[in-house]
Amino acid sequence: MSSIKFILAIWKTNLQAAMEYRASFLTQTIGMMLNNTMYFIIWVVFFDRFKDVRGWGLSDMYVTFGVSASAFGLVALFFGNAFNLGDIITKGRLDYYLSLPRPVLMHALASRSVSSGMGDFLYGILSFIASGIFTWDAMLRFSLATLSGAVVFASFLIIVQSLAFWIGNSSNLSGLATNAMITFAIYPITIFDNSAKIILFTIIPAALMGAVPASFARAFTWQTLAQLLLGASLLLIIAVNIFHTGLKLYESGSAIQTEI
Amino acid sequence: MTAISVSNLQKTFQTKRKAAGLGGSVRALFQPEYATVEAVRGLSFEMEQGELLGFIGPNGAGKSTTIKILTGILHPNGGQASVLGFTPWKERQKLAFQIGTVFGQRPQLWYHLPAIDTFTLFGKIYELDDAFTKKRIAFLTEAFEIGDLLETPVRKLSLGQRMRCEVAASLLHKPKLLLLDEPSIGLDVVAKQHIRDAIRTMSAEEGVGVLLTSHDASDLEALCHRVIIVNHGQIVYQDKVSNLKRKFLTRKLVEVRYAEEVAKNFALEGMETLKTGRYGVKLTFDTRQTPADAVLSRLSSAGTLVDITISDPPLEEVIAMIYEQAREEK
Repeated sequence: MSSIKFILAIWKTNLQAAMEYRASFLTQTIGMMLNNTMYFIIWVVFFDRFKDVRGWGLSDMYVTFGVSASAFGLVALFFGNAFNLGDIITKGRLDYYLSLPRPVLMHALASRSVSSGMGDFLYGILSFIASGIFTWDAMLRFSLATLSGAVVFASFLIIVQSLAFWIGNSSNLSGLATNAMITFAIYPITIFDNSAKIILFTIIPAALMGAVPASFARAFTWQTLAQLLLGASLLLIIAVNIFHTGLKLYESGSAIQTEI
Repeated sequence: MTAISVSNLQKTFQTKRKAAGLGGSVRALFQPEYATVEAVRGLSFEMEQGELLGFIGPNGAGKSTTIKILTGILHPNGGQASVLGFTPWKERQKLAFQIGTVFGQRPQLWYHLPAIDTFTLFGKIYELDDAFTKKRIAFLTEAFEIGDLLETPVRKLSLGQRMRCEVAASLLHKPKLLLLDEPSIGLDVVAKQHIRDAIRTMSAEEGVGVLLTSHDASDLEALCHRVIIVNHGQIVYQDKVSNLKRKFLTRKLVEVRYAEEVAKNFALEGMETLKTGRYGVKLTFDTRQTPADAVLSRLSSAGTLVDITISDPPLEEVIAMIYEQAREEK
């Protein structure tokens, strides 16, 4: 119970900080929605020309893009430090979280909110509505799929960014891995052969952020539900363990820091 | 009752070494070389509950590393430590409820928000009752004279104002022990004085123990009962501040003013003249060689005394002497 109160208090403080720069918050939200729209137009043009790719049509793209964008947006909004955890580690900024009596990983991740995440989150919902499969049942499934996709994406970021405990500055590597994850999550899964699919379920678990949640949002099956829940739980457990193993190697630092 | 007990504490860091220039960078890419830096080397000491202990040393002496081990931020490579009965690196969260920490170089207040918002957030982090948090904020506001600052975004506060809010925030949950790492770094004399006064008041009123690291000897002089001087990760001296002064402050500074003009080549036996003015003179003498009463009678025989001040040299000089001795003993 106290953990929920704590996390709510952090999010409330993040919101207060965002409100200090209201214009920036609004422009980032709207800007990100426009950015996503511009990107998606390419797929609209593509599917207008080819109609479907091995059974994958524009409606599937709307759902996949929707679930991925909303999952991305949730992570950015509520666990914004997942994107720069490696930097926090290498610059010794975990000191702050370690000196307070709360779980260090959760505290660190939740202590930043990326305003543009709101744009991604809202765009994802609009994209899902535009897919043409909207019903309230489907919306419920979309919500669960988005939450599961967000857990997968956050876990992947934690794993990649935690490499900083071992290799020091990992920002380039984690940037590449994050881009790969997002790119593959919004590609039609049907274009990949079986060996590529193995990679998309393991090393870069993009399928668990895009294709599988999208499939669940379209139609309920016990198999996809099991894939979602097991995949997300397993990745989260691995991520938390890798972070805590690395934490024992944490070296802090003496860089002068002027803001949180 | 012992608040901190440290025995044979050790911490080493691996640092990558490379020769200068692009060639060195390329070589380091294929054949990386590492050097082991011993930041803390077999440190042992104890601190009593409610004590004000100064942990002093030059940059790189191992002060911050020690305080980070004692707060559970870093894992040591060897040795034992107990802080309020907890092993910091094993029971970090339990310990954090009992201690307050301030890292002078790392702010804990949210930069874009007024300090009051961080205080409220800390109330939730430390699981404090809302009524208690409000009461405590009111108390700390008075103790640290931060009433006018609480509602201003932290980014708009001066460094001194911010540090007062930082220390106040670290005391919100009524900790038994306060660990301050360079709290006065970068502050001017007035801001330092404000912080020191507030810490002294809190220590006296609430019995909170203070472990303070600093490379500024005046912090130590103003706040601490006892001092530990470290250099290269080892203790080179530990004793009461009063004993430190007695043992090492054998040289006194004397400033005298006479009613009549002072001779240009003013000199008295057993004293060294540092500076001569028209009516005044600044001298120094060693109490082991020349007793103070002899100095006074010689000074009064030299003219009509208007004013006289006898003081100790700055503590910085004493500490520099201790470092020098430690280096020679090596």
